[in-house]
Amino acid sequence: MYVSPIREPLIRGEKNYSQVTKDILAPMAGKPSIYWYLGISLALIALVFGAWATYQTVYYGIGTWGLNKTVGWGWGITNFVWWVGIGHAGTFISAILLLFRQKWRTSINRSAEAMTLIAIACAGFFPLIHMGRLLLGFFIFPYPNTRALWVNFNSPLLWDVFAISTYFAVSLIFWYVGLIPDLGTVRDKAKTKIRKAIYSFLSFGWTGSAKHWSRHETVSLILAGLAAPLVLSVHTIVSFDFATSVIPGWHTTIFPPYFVSGAVFSGFAMVLTLLIVARKALNLEEYITVTHIESMNKVIILTGSIVGIAYITEFFMAWYSGVEYEQYAFMNRAFGPYAWAYWIMMTCNVVTPQLFWFKKIRTSLVATFIISIFVNIGMWFERFVIVVTSLHRDFLPSSWTMYSPSLVEVGLYVGTIGLFFTLFLLFIRVFPVIAIAEVKSVLKSSGDHKKTAHHE
Amino acid sequence: MENTTFKLTKNLKMAGIAMVVIGLLALVYGWIAGLEAERIYANLHLNSFYFVSLGLIGLFFVAVHAIAESGWQVSMQRVGEAMSLFIPVGGIIMLIVFLSGGMSHLFEWTHEDHLDHILIKKVPYLNQPFFYVRFFVFFAGWVLLAWLIRKTSRQLDMNGDIQYFHRLRKYSAFYVVFLAITSVVSSWDWLMSIDAHWFSTLYGWYVFSSMLVTGFSMIVIFVFVLQRMGYMKHVNDEHIHDMGKYMFGLSIFWAYLWFSQYMLIWYANIPEETIYFYERLKYFDTVFYFNLIVNFAIPFLLLMPRNAKRVYWVIIPVAVLIFIGHWVDLYQLIMPGAVGHEAAGIGFLEIGTTIGFLGLFMLATFWRLSKVPLVPKNHPFYEESLHYHTNY
Amino acid sequence: MNKDYITAYYNDEDELLKAVRQLKEKGLEILDVLTPFPVHGLDKVLGMRRSRLTRVAFWGGAVGAAVGFFFQAWVFTEGYPLNFGGKPFFAVPSFMPVTFELAVLFAAFSMVFAFLIYFKLGPGAKTVIHDERITDDRFLVVVGIRKEGNQQEIEQALKETGAEGIKHNA
Repeated sequence: MYVSPIREPLIRGEKNYSQVTKDILAPMAGKPSIYWYLGISLALIALVFGAWATYQTVYYGIGTWGLNKTVGWGWGITNFVWWVGIGHAGTFISAILLLFRQKWRTSINRSAEAMTLIAIACAGFFPLIHMGRLLLGFFIFPYPNTRALWVNFNSPLLWDVFAISTYFAVSLIFWYVGLIPDLGTVRDKAKTKIRKAIYSFLSFGWTGSAKHWSRHETVSLILAGLAAPLVLSVHTIVSFDFATSVIPGWHTTIFPPYFVSGAVFSGFAMVLTLLIVARKALNLEEYITVTHIESMNKVIILTGSIVGIAYITEFFMAWYSGVEYEQYAFMNRAFGPYAWAYWIMMTCNVVTPQLFWFKKIRTSLVATFIISIFVNIGMWFERFVIVVTSLHRDFLPSSWTMYSPSLVEVGLYVGTIGLFFTLFLLFIRVFPVIAIAEVKSVLKSSGDHKKTAHHE
Repeated sequence: MENTTFKLTKNLKMAGIAMVVIGLLALVYGWIAGLEAERIYANLHLNSFYFVSLGLIGLFFVAVHAIAESGWQVSMQRVGEAMSLFIPVGGIIMLIVFLSGGMSHLFEWTHEDHLDHILIKKVPYLNQPFFYVRFFVFFAGWVLLAWLIRKTSRQLDMNGDIQYFHRLRKYSAFYVVFLAITSVVSSWDWLMSIDAHWFSTLYGWYVFSSMLVTGFSMIVIFVFVLQRMGYMKHVNDEHIHDMGKYMFGLSIFWAYLWFSQYMLIWYANIPEETIYFYERLKYFDTVFYFNLIVNFAIPFLLLMPRNAKRVYWVIIPVAVLIFIGHWVDLYQLIMPGAVGHEAAGIGFLEIGTTIGFLGLFMLATFWRLSKVPLVPKNHPFYEESLHYHTNY
Repeated sequence: MNKDYITAYYNDEDELLKAVRQLKEKGLEILDVLTPFPVHGLDKVLGMRRSRLTRVAFWGGAVGAAVGFFFQAWVFTEGYPLNFGGKPFFAVPSFMPVTFELAVLFAAFSMVFAFLIYFKLGPGAKTVIHDERITDDRFLVVVGIRKEGNQQEIEQALKETGAEGIKHNA
């Protein structure tokens, strides 16, 4: 296919196919580096902290959290929404960018999807533990029971159950279907017998037949077509948790698209944070190039600006509505006791990403890394602001109160971060972090040597 | 060698003028038949908003693809550019409607002596001087950026210097940002403030998505007409397929925003919000369901198969339906508030005026197309656009 | 494949495409083509039909949507009607999210399982790996030998197209 000469190459270093295989499989072979051990040790320590917090919650109950009568949703739901949001980037990259034929997605989709799955697992943990009785979690599914009761299909919290489970399941098969050919590569390159056996089991007997490839592409494409509205629906339904209520600050119609945009925003920030480190640590700089980083930064500007417009729209509409409760909720957000959280959110989400309009900044790794951290923080505060500031001063001034998390809640949050990094670090040892076959298929049109290559 | 210069033939000119005449006749008919002034004004307002939006989206099509560095659309980007020529024309009509007394007929909040306690609170925003200031800012920005983009695109075409390409992208970025803000605020001003008590934060994006899908459908219709006249032979099935995907996807997106807004208001059941849909469901139920079926169900089902997106005999009828459907969407946004269920209706007045506006829109677009080569030969992605084919 | 065949590989996908086209023209029977990544245009050369998996997905989705919608409707109107916040029992807007999610779930899973089952792929599937390098950088063709034995003709044709590593299975 013809590619305009003014486009930047996506894969550097004049690779050929077997070099691609070698480079991408390299991180899986041999002993892990000292940094890997260091990373996983830190992650495991965080995980142990989380395990302790889980034990406290399950053994003593939700009373160990800092929640009170007025603020019934605190860090738990904040973290839930934050993690779900982070999970959106993977599907966005692999589904929506596939539909939009963005070739740069091939180098980052695999790891972003893995991140999605792990993030959803982290997210799903919070509603479950928030119910207090972890072992009775299955109550949320509609199954025939002796009480002849069904679940409440009118409740957005139940829609969440369906949305998150479907999202996890579909993301999982999407990711795995994409992995099958690459697992075949790992199998064929395996040096030991056990390794070969494991990967031939995992690779589902992939042969690389043209017929399989053709149908595999169809499956990937239709899955992308299904995952694209699915990814929109998930954060939409999460936003319904808030927006279907009549709480000022929660009930607003812009929530669905604005949550989705915020989710992609935070997800890309997390992908950037991870990949800027990973590409260096795993020697994949020629595959995840500055061009990739720049493209992701453009998505950050786009989604960040949409979020910014939504913040301003909400604020303006609160005034325009003439509803004094709505107006108070917003004044309280910006100038009340939690104003610091609001302004952290505003700075990190609306102001700093605008720096990416400058090409110098969006092509600088250091700047990108710092801004991506800012966005991660900002998006966490966005959810905190929405959850806590809308609740802590309710309709009855006598019950106005403040909220701060207990050590147990902090432990649960840190624990999920530990879980996230543990699983991610295991992932890069077990599976190829870049979609090998997909990179090969764009190598000729987007490789470094594309101008000299011609074979017909 | 194909013909790259479009000629505005006499027949075409006459057809356009005839359509405009029908529009004028419809207005005269409305006046003679003694239809309510509200109905006539609202009708003009609806159409000028509709066709200005189509022009804005035509330009958006060019701009958004320029900043996304996309290549395939280059083959039809002249059409998008040409559509933007209607923006000032529609703006002038809109201004005439407002200045000739339309303001007080359309907008309840202009009755400054009879404002209730809620509308009084909104006066800092909803007052006539500020309204006109915003009006001029919107149109000044749109017209200026449209002119700059058209000019730069033309310069790029003449000498192919890469610096014009970068300049085009810069203006496009300005335009997209400017439109992101102004499309939202203008929809509050011109549409939402008709129901002055009511408010919804999603409103601006809902209107934008509605206009987006119609604008893209309009581009397809123009390409079809041009091909029928023997031009634009370089646009192939793959390009049409992509436009079909846009129409399919954007119809779903529109339905998604419709559902989000409707469901949240239905669910929370706050009287000051539900009144909006209550009125529409009670007095405008046909229009309400027509809107959903034509703008979501039909494009969704008809455009789902791959091959349907590649053939004109499916694409064009669906595009025309979308054009009608979103006109009706605007109708149900404007009429219940501006005209009321007793006086509102769709008759010769409405249909005739729409034909008139369509004629004017066509004339403007075709006139612009006749001034520039239809093929942007020197665009750096032009070759890519010609050679491109995709499996999906 | 319980047939006799000859395998040979190429090092480049454009070479492969050209070769397959030529082999086809000579009337040889191409049993399979194995590549490290999807080669565009190959499905046309091999004369493959368009996939019917899209239909599986569509009907899977339709069933999912129907199951989701009617189950909720049944629960709320027949199974156990309960008043929640004054909502009607048959609350269509409320049913939409779950209906949508189940449609996507059914569509995705029915299609992926159809794909795996049709090609007999799955954990522990027994397939023939002709050459371990085809998942790396080799493009392999498998040409079937006719009963009357046309090995020479095949080998000749393969050599002409620049194939390497010509091998018989028996």
